[in-house]
Amino acid sequence: MKSIRFFLSIVILSTITIMAFLAALNGYNDSMASAEELFDTELVDKANLLAISYSVRPPETRISDIAKFDQIKESQQSEQYFAFQIWKNEKILLTSINAPQDAIAHFESGFHYKNFLNHRWRTYSQYNKKTNIWILTAERIDIRYVLAENIVLETIIPVVIMLPFLGLLIWTIITYGLSPLRNLAQELGDKRADDLTALSIENQPVELIQVVNSTNDLFERLKASFLREKRFSSDAAHELRTPISAIKIHLHNLSHLISEDEQSFIQLRSSVDRMGHLIEQILNLNRTSTEQYMSRFSTIDLYSLAQEVIASEYKHFAQKNLQISLEGDSNTINGDKFSLELLVQNLISNACKYTPESGEVLIKVYCNVGDIIFQIEDSGSGIPVDKYERLFDRFYRLDGDCHTSNTIGCGLGLAIVKQIVELHHAEIFLGQSSFKTGLMVRVVFSKEDLS
Amino acid sequence: MLLSSVIIVLREVLEAALLISILIALSKKTSLSAHWLIWSCLLGLSGAIVYGMNINNVSDWFDGVGQEVTNAFIQLLIYCMLVLYILILSRFLVHKNTFHFLTRLIMIIIVALAITREGTEIVLYFFSVTHSKTHLTAVVGMTIGASIGVSVGFLFYYLLNSLKLEQSIFIGLILLLLVSAGMVSQASLLLIQADWLPAQLPLWNSSAFISEKSVTGQLLYVLLGYESTPTALQVSLYVLAIIVPIGLMQVLNKVYPKKINLASL
Amino acid sequence: MNYFINHVCHFFRFQIIIFITVFVLLIPVQVYAGTPIIHIEIRNHLFIPSEIIIPKETKVKLIIHNKDETDEEFESYELNREKVIVGQRKGVIFIGPLPSGVYPFFGEFFPKTAQGKVIVK
Repeated sequence: MKSIRFFLSIVILSTITIMAFLAALNGYNDSMASAEELFDTELVDKANLLAISYSVRPPETRISDIAKFDQIKESQQSEQYFAFQIWKNEKILLTSINAPQDAIAHFESGFHYKNFLNHRWRTYSQYNKKTNIWILTAERIDIRYVLAENIVLETIIPVVIMLPFLGLLIWTIITYGLSPLRNLAQELGDKRADDLTALSIENQPVELIQVVNSTNDLFERLKASFLREKRFSSDAAHELRTPISAIKIHLHNLSHLISEDEQSFIQLRSSVDRMGHLIEQILNLNRTSTEQYMSRFSTIDLYSLAQEVIASEYKHFAQKNLQISLEGDSNTINGDKFSLELLVQNLISNACKYTPESGEVLIKVYCNVGDIIFQIEDSGSGIPVDKYERLFDRFYRLDGDCHTSNTIGCGLGLAIVKQIVELHHAEIFLGQSSFKTGLMVRVVFSKEDLS
Repeated sequence: MLLSSVIIVLREVLEAALLISILIALSKKTSLSAHWLIWSCLLGLSGAIVYGMNINNVSDWFDGVGQEVTNAFIQLLIYCMLVLYILILSRFLVHKNTFHFLTRLIMIIIVALAITREGTEIVLYFFSVTHSKTHLTAVVGMTIGASIGVSVGFLFYYLLNSLKLEQSIFIGLILLLLVSAGMVSQASLLLIQADWLPAQLPLWNSSAFISEKSVTGQLLYVLLGYESTPTALQVSLYVLAIIVPIGLMQVLNKVYPKKINLASL
Repeated sequence: MNYFINHVCHFFRFQIIIFITVFVLLIPVQVYAGTPIIHIEIRNHLFIPSEIIIPKETKVKLIIHNKDETDEEFESYELNREKVIVGQRKGVIFIGPLPSGVYPFFGEFFPKTAQGKVIVK
């Protein structure tokens, strides 16, 4: 999943982190270098001071006296931190109390590093040609480094501490900045399937105006075409109903005039019946389509609904000498009465149609782990598994037009069933029936959608 | 202190972050979810801590060169896994499907090993420094180093991700080839240091052009395993490490030819 | 099968040439008798001695004893070496053969004080 918010937040924060830290490190480096320079200058100053103070003193002063001078002069801390020696002709003349007896620096003018007394020191050697004296001064690196770093660190720590807050700030700003987009998405997501009213263009940022305009345009066209389609199919079906009724009446009148055994007459009647059925189904399909669906859901008992439908369809079962049984108990779901009735009726009449004489049909309504299940099984010839998917297509009939059973059907029954199932967010499964042969249809109304 | 802690952590994090970002970008491109990363990170971190805790025992192995041998072994293992991954990826370019389970397993192993290898040094550094007085500095430095490393990884990932499918896989392949060859070069160096491979005079000295200490040198070290004074053995192994996967790719393409020939890309 | 091997051989002409070159490059590996051993101590984050002198073009075995409580990482870009020396332990590093010159090394964990150099003469 790509998220603009994540992308922007991470990329911006990463870039800022790199830049800020590199700048901080650069500053750190420069400050440390300046501090180093400062300390070095101090080392030189101390050497100069020593040179002057030594030149003032008589050269024959003994070391013991100087040691006393040391103790007075040097404080506790700098005693550890600073050391010096004065050499003449490879002989030590004067030394700080903490310095070893060996030379603390190289006899080579300038700055050096040297390890002694378990520490690493920065040393400075100064040679006085006139007096032939070497003045060596040294400072402990670790201490002077910590001193410098503590100061410099003060400037860096805020940058580090600031960063999480910066991250939070960037996240908030981007979230806020992207809110028009999110609002638009929300508005579109919340729209009901049949709500094709235009989105408001007010308060939209410039970047989204084109999107909103295009979407509104699309809605407009969609609405128009829906309207056309709706009007056409319902008008057509309605308009066809009247002539069909007229034909039926004429057919009835005709039956008195000619022999009812006439082959053409029987064919004509069945064709007219089929046409009437088709028109009824087309109207049903229209009434139950998601776009059309407006009615409120109510609590419906599937079991008693099945009872009602069986009662109304019973004469067809009796004609074919079919045994129909209903098992289970009262289970209520939330749904639309009209469409659910249509669903049950379609499934039951399908079972009746495709089960040969003296067959069996078993209907169950039961509750399984909270899901309410309506299941119908027949002892017909069944349907090959590979045909299951196509069964729900509109106008699809098994084996095409050469349907083996001489029954009225237009191939819309299961398409309507599927539509109603989707309307109720239920699921439909096909399978083998528990009889020797035959089809099992199971409609599962899931728990979440019942509540 | 600050700078050195930044460098230590940055170098290790950068190495792992680049490898991980390449792998995640590629797994996104080959439509694999990136959930494997959590597992490999956890595995890698625990690996690093266990290795760091037992470093003194490991060091004593093989007459005091256990560390080098273990690290070299890890590097070579990563190399082998990377070669496998490269081969799978090259097949993806040909017929657009991956062996999901295998690919994920390989990526988990690669990243876990890489984090173990790179994380150990950070763990050791952390323990060493918290003993001393100046640990605040070190912690700040480690934070800075880790943040920079991770940020570079993120940017690199988005860069690779913004490329077109075939482009990004091709570039990813080349980067992985170079990184894997770098692994072999590092492993050979460790084995030379342990005296398991013969030591030689360096073949050349390019430190005057690109010093290993410089930022460029460090970046090249992370990406290509750059050394300023490599020996003949190292160079040969490096070249070999690049040739082997390419050769295997060609064999695969010969044995299972398909319309796109990788070598001609 | 035979065909396949021929095919592979033909196919890998280029690779085979490189393999041969690689092995020719590997031949001039000198064999050294008796590697000199040099001990270095790490104490208080200092290398003692901080300067060691080794003969040129000779492999040398450095044994580094870390007397501190903390770990230290011996590191040298010039020597191409990197190794963690655990506190209160010792570590072995082979360096060289090297042309004459000065090769600084440092302790990466405490680089301000742990500094040293190898002088190859």
